[in-house]
Amino acid sequence: MNAIIKREILEHLQSLQFIILIILSILLFSMNGWVSVKKHREQMRRYSDGVTGVAQNQSTVETSLYMRPNPLVLLADGGSKYQPPGYSLGPKGKLTSLPAGPKNFKMPFVPELDWAFIIKVVFSLYVLLLAFRGISGEKEIGTLRLVLSNTLRRNQLLIAKYISIILTTGIPLILGGLVSLCIVSILLPQALSLSVVPRIGLMVILAFFYLSIFAFLGLFVSSLVGRSSVVLLILLSVWILFVVVVPNVSGILSDKLSSVPSEFQTARQVGPILKEQIWARIDKVKERVNRGELTTEEAIKRETDRAYEEGQEEIRNHYVVYENAMKRRANAARNLSRLSPTALFQFASESLADSGPRREERFERDAKAYSSIYDNYILEKVGRLVGTSYWSFGSGITVNGKYINISSPHPQEYEGDKSDFPRFAESSPNLAVNVQEAFLDLAGLSLWNLILAVLAFWAIWRCDVR
Amino acid sequence: MLKAIVQREILEYLKSSKFLIGLCLTVVLVVISTFINIGDYQQRQQDFLDAKEGLKKQRISVKIVREPQILSTLVQGRDRELGSLIDISYLYLPIQTSGYIGEYASQHHRYVCGFASVDFAFVVRVVLSLMVIFLAYNSISEERTQGTLKLALANPLPRGQLLFGKLLGGLFVVLGSLTIATLIAVFVMVLHPAISLDRELSLRILAMWGVSALYLGTFFTLSLMVSTIFNRPSVALLVLLQIWIVVIVIYPNLSVILSQHLMGLPGSEELEDRQRALFESYEQEYDKAWEAFSKMVDLGQRDQEIGRKWFEVCSQRTELFHRIDSEYSQQLTRQRHLAENMGLLSPSVLYNSVMQRLAGTDIREFDDFMEGVERLWHKYLELWALLYKDREAYQKSKHPEFAYTTQSAADCIVQTLPQWILLFLLSAAFFVVAHAVFMRKNVG
Repeated sequence: MNAIIKREILEHLQSLQFIILIILSILLFSMNGWVSVKKHREQMRRYSDGVTGVAQNQSTVETSLYMRPNPLVLLADGGSKYQPPGYSLGPKGKLTSLPAGPKNFKMPFVPELDWAFIIKVVFSLYVLLLAFRGISGEKEIGTLRLVLSNTLRRNQLLIAKYISIILTTGIPLILGGLVSLCIVSILLPQALSLSVVPRIGLMVILAFFYLSIFAFLGLFVSSLVGRSSVVLLILLSVWILFVVVVPNVSGILSDKLSSVPSEFQTARQVGPILKEQIWARIDKVKERVNRGELTTEEAIKRETDRAYEEGQEEIRNHYVVYENAMKRRANAARNLSRLSPTALFQFASESLADSGPRREERFERDAKAYSSIYDNYILEKVGRLVGTSYWSFGSGITVNGKYINISSPHPQEYEGDKSDFPRFAESSPNLAVNVQEAFLDLAGLSLWNLILAVLAFWAIWRCDVR
Repeated sequence: MLKAIVQREILEYLKSSKFLIGLCLTVVLVVISTFINIGDYQQRQQDFLDAKEGLKKQRISVKIVREPQILSTLVQGRDRELGSLIDISYLYLPIQTSGYIGEYASQHHRYVCGFASVDFAFVVRVVLSLMVIFLAYNSISEERTQGTLKLALANPLPRGQLLFGKLLGGLFVVLGSLTIATLIAVFVMVLHPAISLDRELSLRILAMWGVSALYLGTFFTLSLMVSTIFNRPSVALLVLLQIWIVVIVIYPNLSVILSQHLMGLPGSEELEDRQRALFESYEQEYDKAWEAFSKMVDLGQRDQEIGRKWFEVCSQRTELFHRIDSEYSQQLTRQRHLAENMGLLSPSVLYNSVMQRLAGTDIREFDDFMEGVERLWHKYLELWALLYKDREAYQKSKHPEFAYTTQSAADCIVQTLPQWILLFLLSAAFFVVAHAVFMRKNVG
């Protein structure tokens, strides 16, 4: 079997696919390193500016919480350019996304050039190009019969072919990865520390685990179908389905399948909520004024402030419901796309790199935990918590010929010593937590490997070698 | 003789399993994607109509909704991901649309951004181009390997004619498949009650068919060229697949990523600084007007002169700020142009830009919409000014109607002519090289 592995590796190394894969791998991973360095520098600059700004302007009206830039987005970006760099936090837990850095909305959407993209698109295709002739090619030229006339068993042949494909793909993968890491370590030495090495190692293992699916798939179809050109056509069709169709169609499909209200329906409800929750309450206060129940400006303001506060709470809740609905829809899309091993690999990579929606969810949890500390601080210093929404309101009441301006209350700035202002600290999960998060995706990848391995062995046993 | 070659080629292609598999995959994907996209369009159109209905009574803060494009069912382009609503008043004039829930609360862009579209254009760009490669990769090399090329040329048949016959036969099959895919997509659209196709839309679909034919023709001539250059069909196929992955997957993405990093954009802080600097000379006047206006509101008074002053200074501020925003928007356009120009060598980039233009789902359509918004803002400015000059005239005045120039199919074709010509030149160049190589080829 060793001889076959060596022969196969030698053949692959001399092939055109391998040479082009090496060139593409070095080119793409170099670009990945360069782009990551530029992006990380910019994100770090914005982060430092933001954090310094918060330290200098500690406020009881509103504060900003910044997400620490993650250098491991070079492995799996996880849509970082669409994630907010942090949140602005107001009293009563009002979180608003901070605007992202300069981003060209006129540009066509292209996926980030991270390791996950290079592996899931380019390497998976090249594994198929290396595997498609594995059995059918040998059958076409008659060498399969000769090989199997020796004492070599069919499953040994399959294993040898499989190992040679994986080892051949491993060379450009590891070479490319090293190039990328070298560029990052030289241009931005502070970005990568020793603590990220296990994550990078696991990412490489994950890549092999993913590529193994395509190797088994290639060998399965190659054993099942006699003609190499038909094998390649079938494999490319499956590749298109796995890599492009399933992950992308799930975005629109989730819209159709999920029962959450659309953004328009949510927006439509804002008007009636304002009417019922704000203006109806203010009208009631006005009625009480007209009935003579409230006579002083202070009493009127106290009542209107309470009305505005309660109304604002309802509006905040409405937006929270919408936000959660959008998240459910995005999760539904991600779950649907999990049918494809490519999506499973993408999500597992994001977990290992600690990027993507999970990182954002964790940050949001941290921000919510901090918001109660922040509220307590405001209560202690100002003595009163005033919640706001995206809206502010104003109206007027005339009492005894005097016009009283009633507007929604604003949080108050504490003018005294703020040296004990609570500091926000973002939690950083350890690798075990991230691996646990990736468990479902890893299980999915294992299942794909198992199914396709069984099918490949079954196909080669049934294969007519003549 | 040419007729016989063409007939033989067509028959060979039609009998091959690769043609059948490719055609089946194409048909299935076109039906599913068109069906899903029509459902999506129907929902967006319903939202648009409902939103428009609800916006009739607006006067001070004006909301404008963007209508989804019918042909987004075939070419999604940017139609879905760009927002649907824009809010303008004398206090603000944005350069970007948002989702229906408004600029700050909307998560519209974030949650849909990760998923690309699968539509008719995608099927042609990716699946049919692959099928074309599979059909043509062995058209010369395999005949040479099997020895039939030698036999065919032993007849009084000029080499050029043989190559031309192969081109015509192949194109007939490719264009036939494209026509089937197009007709199926149109059939699904026509049968759906949400879609009605008029003459203009039909013309656009016809132009889409034309540019798709040109795009697939480019891949066919490329495959023919590679097949004449390499003697072994397997090598020709591998070379073509490498070209395909570079041209379709890698190169278009790299051109966008490179342009983003080569041409930097100013940050929000820099833009705010520029706006502040431009408005500096009016700052005192603005502060004074604000002081007077807020005092008036606090006292519940209504002073026409204070209101007018406040309106004037605010609209001036909005106009000046918008000038900076417009410059920024132009920078965004320049960055996009750089990406497009860098990607010009890829037929995929050329094809995409023409298809999106024809479907009205490209950024040009959005820019036209935004120009319309700006024009409307100026009209409304006159109306709002009337509120402080002549209240009665203001109340009697009619709402300015929102309109923007939509280009006709003919205009779109004229605008995209350079891309059509480039695609044609690429096809011609590939065929000329194939011809030159084939004339000198050793057929033995």
